[in-house]
Amino acid sequence: MAYAYENGHVVFEDVSVAAREDELTAIVGPSGVGKSTLLRILGGFIRPMRGEVRLMGKRVTRPIPEIALIHQSIVTFPWLSALENVKLALKARKVSGDEADAVAKKMLSLVGLQGTENLYPKEMSGGMRQRVAIARALAAEPIVLLMDEPFSHLDEFTAEELRQDIYGMIFNSEIPLRSAILVSHNLYEVVSLADRVYVLNGYPAKVVGEIEVGLERPRDPTSAEFNDYLHKLREYLTPVKSELA
Amino acid sequence: MNAYLLALLATLATTGRVLGLILLSVVTGWFLGYAAIKSRVFENAYIASIEVLESVPVISFFPVVLIFFINDVGGGLGVELAADFLVFTAVVWNIWVGIYQALKTIPNEMLEVTKNFEMSFLQKLRYAYIPFSVPRIAANLFPSLADGFFYITVSEVLSVGTTSYSTFGIGTVIDRFSSQGDFFMVYVSLIFIGAAVVLTVLGMREFSKYAVAKYALDTNQPIRKGRGFRISSLMSKNPFQKLSFYSLTSKARTTPRRKGFLERPEEEEKQNRLSKIVPAAVGFLLLALLIYGAVSLVIGVSPSLWSQLLSMTPYFLYSMLVDYARVGVITLVSLALAITVGYYLAVHARAEASMVPLIQSLSAFPAPTYFPVLFALTVSLVRGFLGPYTVEFYVLLVGFMSTFYYIFYSFWMGIRAMPQEYWDVMDNLNMGFFQKMRHVLLPATFPYIIAGISSTVNSAWGGLMIGEYWPDIYKGYTLTVRVGLMKLMDVYTAEGQIALVSWASLLFGIVVVVYSIFFTRKMMDLARKKYVAEEGVYAARRDRLGESLIVSRGRKPFVGEGEK
Repeated sequence: MAYAYENGHVVFEDVSVAAREDELTAIVGPSGVGKSTLLRILGGFIRPMRGEVRLMGKRVTRPIPEIALIHQSIVTFPWLSALENVKLALKARKVSGDEADAVAKKMLSLVGLQGTENLYPKEMSGGMRQRVAIARALAAEPIVLLMDEPFSHLDEFTAEELRQDIYGMIFNSEIPLRSAILVSHNLYEVVSLADRVYVLNGYPAKVVGEIEVGLERPRDPTSAEFNDYLHKLREYLTPVKSELA
Repeated sequence: MNAYLLALLATLATTGRVLGLILLSVVTGWFLGYAAIKSRVFENAYIASIEVLESVPVISFFPVVLIFFINDVGGGLGVELAADFLVFTAVVWNIWVGIYQALKTIPNEMLEVTKNFEMSFLQKLRYAYIPFSVPRIAANLFPSLADGFFYITVSEVLSVGTTSYSTFGIGTVIDRFSSQGDFFMVYVSLIFIGAAVVLTVLGMREFSKYAVAKYALDTNQPIRKGRGFRISSLMSKNPFQKLSFYSLTSKARTTPRRKGFLERPEEEEKQNRLSKIVPAAVGFLLLALLIYGAVSLVIGVSPSLWSQLLSMTPYFLYSMLVDYARVGVITLVSLALAITVGYYLAVHARAEASMVPLIQSLSAFPAPTYFPVLFALTVSLVRGFLGPYTVEFYVLLVGFMSTFYYIFYSFWMGIRAMPQEYWDVMDNLNMGFFQKMRHVLLPATFPYIIAGISSTVNSAWGGLMIGEYWPDIYKGYTLTVRVGLMKLMDVYTAEGQIALVSWASLLFGIVVVVYSIFFTRKMMDLARKKYVAEEGVYAARRDRLGESLIVSRGRKPFVGEGEK
């Protein structure tokens, strides 16, 4: 795929990424390489200049509930309670009444928010709000989950807590999710969570590396192997001179 | 004088009057806004006065003011001042409030720089306050322009008692051509004023773009965690919405400022004292004048006149009720149209690009100038369909034309200010139109809708004032309703019954203020507590989201293979 702005500035080109079943795929790269843009293209929110997105062989041309996006800026609806926020996804699936309540409660419980159904976003911490957003996304029964730096606006303690929980939340036998893609510039986060990492770099950006992270879970950030992966990623991310320069 | 030249000069005079008064509003707004942020006493008086004055339709107190200017000032100057006063009161409030808000929310860091360099009052205005207020002024220009043109054309020709007064402008010239039966020149004049409106709107659009590009801070301003608001959420017209945010925005300014060891506390203290005393004195003076005016009015009315006024009161109230029903119909129709058209435009970028300038031009094209022509062309057809309801239809139509754009602008701005992430979620969940409306769009734009309804209601009164009693609208036909407070005020003004006009005006003012306190403010409180879309987005929006806003709502960033 390739993507360019209206003024002709090519952000990235010849980029190909694959999200495999039961894998959490990470996309990393320095600022400005188009990581978030790429994620939005994968979700059908933006069209690429060249190339296409396919989900299980079918072309994706617009946003669909099967590919759910979790934003960096945590999105909840302040006039809806936590339960109603999650039920919003079920309305689109035409699930209503008691069944909707039950599913929404189950999703909230899955993300660790049991007992908070009647709280409004204003009454919740940032971490809790992001959990509501994740529960809402999962309630739509997506096949792929896209996460755009989902922890970057949380304080470090909350982010760490959520990082530890997220894998269990999304790869869970109770939901049909098959794959997840995470955009991040936090290498520690990427090595902690990802099964596979695509590294974008250069101007225009290209995939300069694809690393399979073969560490056992739970991962130990103090281990030598963990640091080896960090080192490898840092090497790929050393500044690349622009082709225009 | 050549008729074409006359129409052209009149167009220029009218346009110049509107633009000049907008400029006057801006300049006075800077000084008053600065005084307000420096003195708590003045600030309270200033904001409360604006709140009340904007809540009361200009038209309700105009007859009294008109009589004052014409009787007490007199001559050409009196008529000119009366017309200017009406237009000034139509354009000024939202500009003043917009400037005040800008000055109130100027970042502390920016103020610290001005202190650091020991800038004088004028330097502070020039380098910090004025530039910072420019985008907000730009945002408030369109409603002001539309209102200004609407009222200027009716206020150039005024009647009190049997005497008609006029000041040079397109309203007067059209009136003259019309009474001479020269309808060709009426059409030419309409084209002239139409062209002037379009050019002005286009110029203002360019100015707005320039203002935002040059003077706006980061438009994707980070939202403070917890109870924080994006500045764009304050950009609508109605003061209730804006005022509801003041307490919150002012919190941002209460951060204690560290005193540097090189500061000169005594001098600063003296300056502060002065900057507080002067505006407070102005505030008290204004208050004293208001009280004096009210007291002298009460004393000046004889007991027998009081008894007549009181006996008329039930009928006035009944007439007001009928007018409220009219205003209700106008508001509902405007709301329905605004929501459907506003939504359509927000999701169809191409239609938006062409329709918004068109709506801006149409709304600024003064209805009173072309309405008689529209009436003449359609009256027989409408009468065929509506029979006895024809008059009611036209009155409602004038009201609608005078006001629909407020609620349209408000809703459209609300839709545009809605976080992009909400559009993503709606797309992602494949929500249908009604689901979007019910669960996201209407709640997210609720504060804007309430602000729009409030302005629409206020402005609808102006439309009714014109429509309910329109003598000689076309070939001797007088458009008039049977019952209506605005009609009564029109008729009493024409008959020169000052006491009756003043009393009706006062009753009307009281009801409007009570309505605004018990309805509009309550709704705004609800909107502030529950329906602030920006609160739903916890973290900062980055620049890249600005990009995606442009892209995913149809503004294509490139023409590539994917688009073909």
